[in-house]
Formats: sequence, structure tokens, C-alpha cells
Amino acid sequence: MSPDLDELLPSLAAGDQDAFGRFVAGAELAVRKSLRSFAALLDTEALVQETFLRVWQVAPRFTPDGSDNALLRFTVRVARNLAVSELRKRREEPVGDEGPAATVEAAAVDPLLRRVILLCLEKLSGPTRGALVARLESAGAEPDHAIAMRVGMRPNTFLQNVTRARRSIADCLETQGVALDPTIFASRPREGTEAP
Amino acid sequence: MTSPADRERLIEETVSAHRERDREGRILPSASFYDLAPEDRVLAFEETLRARTLEAALDPEGLSSTARALLARIRGGP
Repeated sequence: MSPDLDELLPSLAAGDQDAFGRFVAGAELAVRKSLRSFAALLDTEALVQETFLRVWQVAPRFTPDGSDNALLRFTVRVARNLAVSELRKRREEPVGDEGPAATVEAAAVDPLLRRVILLCLEKLSGPTRGALVARLESAGAEPDHAIAMRVGMRPNTFLQNVTRARRSIADCLETQGVALDPTIFASRPREGTEAP
Repeated sequence: MTSPADRERLIEETVSAHRERDREGRILPSASFYDLAPEDRVLAFEETLRARTLEAALDPEGLSSTARALLARIRGGP
């Protein structure tokens, strides 16, 4: 069952930054997926970040409509409006856009799934593991060349290692019966999977 | 013509949650994104979905690197 992120509205209205983190954690996947038809034309990562910053600014004045996840649905609309506005400036159209999805659902991380992913991460070693862990720890705060310098790799080598690491984890997950794809939150490890 | 190695590098750079900002604080698109062919931009989008899913699952609070970058931003970080 999808959580109702509107439970966070009173905290968001009070400017609670941790509540904003919980809102982004639950809303990000739906917002990102809503931008798929813009992916060939616009950098959706920049759009997603701009969207959430705008929502953080207006959340204290947001009035829910009474249905679940009103703020999430509003956030999806903000994201898509930003994308359309950007394309209009360039006189372009999204590819195969069917409009916003009829329903949007918030995501919640499955603790068992997390354990399986950790198991797969543990199987990585050397520079492949080092590069991925450094990228994870950086959490978007630094450009890749700065992370590469910090871990003593050339930028190209660092990026190759990050790509390899994610592929290795995806392969490991596949052997556990988990596809690392956008539906991952709905996936479940195979019965009898040994997690650490 | 982009070599396969350059293409992979550009996709991986686009997958990163790091984005520069302009003087007004607006988030700028990744320069690597615009060096990719349209079909590779879609690949980068799908790879980003997988990467954020992985990051969120590994994070004790379920936060992806995008979420962490946003929190740093509203807390007045870099």
C-alpha cells in the first residue's frame, strides 16, 4: 500500500527539513518517472531538483484537496509544467507524451530488499567498490572529477568503475531474483534468499 | 562521432546527482547531457532511475543522492 505523504504536511508547513527529506524519499521515484517523455530533450535530474526546491518553498502554503498524496500529485504537476515551459522556450515538444499518469504512488523502501542490496555491495571489492562507495558518500555534493581526485583515480577510470560497480550489483541482484529497475520497490527477493 | 568509451563516460556523468548552479542559484543541466545523442539521453534517464533506486535502498533513511543534494541545498550547503 502506498504511503500518504500528506501526513508530512504539518511538519513541512513548520519548515521541518527532515520531513522534507522524508517527502523527497517517498515522492522522487514518481516525479522522476513522470518526466520519462522529456528524457530525450531535457536533463531530468536538473528538473527533478528544481521541482523539489520549488515545492519546498510553497509547501507551507499548500492546501490539500482531501485525496491521498495531494502534495505528491502537485509536485508531479510542477515537474511537468517546468519541463513543458523549458521546451516551449525552445519551441520543442515532448516525445510520446501521454500527459500525467492518472494515479501516482509514493514509494517506501523494503528493508529485506535493502539487505539483499547490501549483500551484493559487500561482494564488490577494490577500486570498483571504492568508486561506487565514494560516489554514494558524496551524495551529489561534488562533481565526479573532484571525487575521482579524492580517491586517487583518473576521472575516466573513476566513472568506468562506478558503471561497473552498478552493473555488478544489478547482476548480483538478478541472481537473487531482483531486477534493479524502476519497479524495484515493488519487487521481492526470491523465497529463501539468504541476506546478511 | 562519439566513441563507445566516451558515450559511457557521458552517460555516467549525466547519472550523477551533482549539478552546478548559476548566479541566481538555479540548477543547471549537466553539460554531458547535451553531448549525448537523444537515444543515449533516454538510456541515461533509465540508468538514473536504477541508480537512485539503489542509492535510496542503501541509505538508512531511504534518501537517494538527489534527496541528499536537495537537503544540503536547503540547509545552506554547497
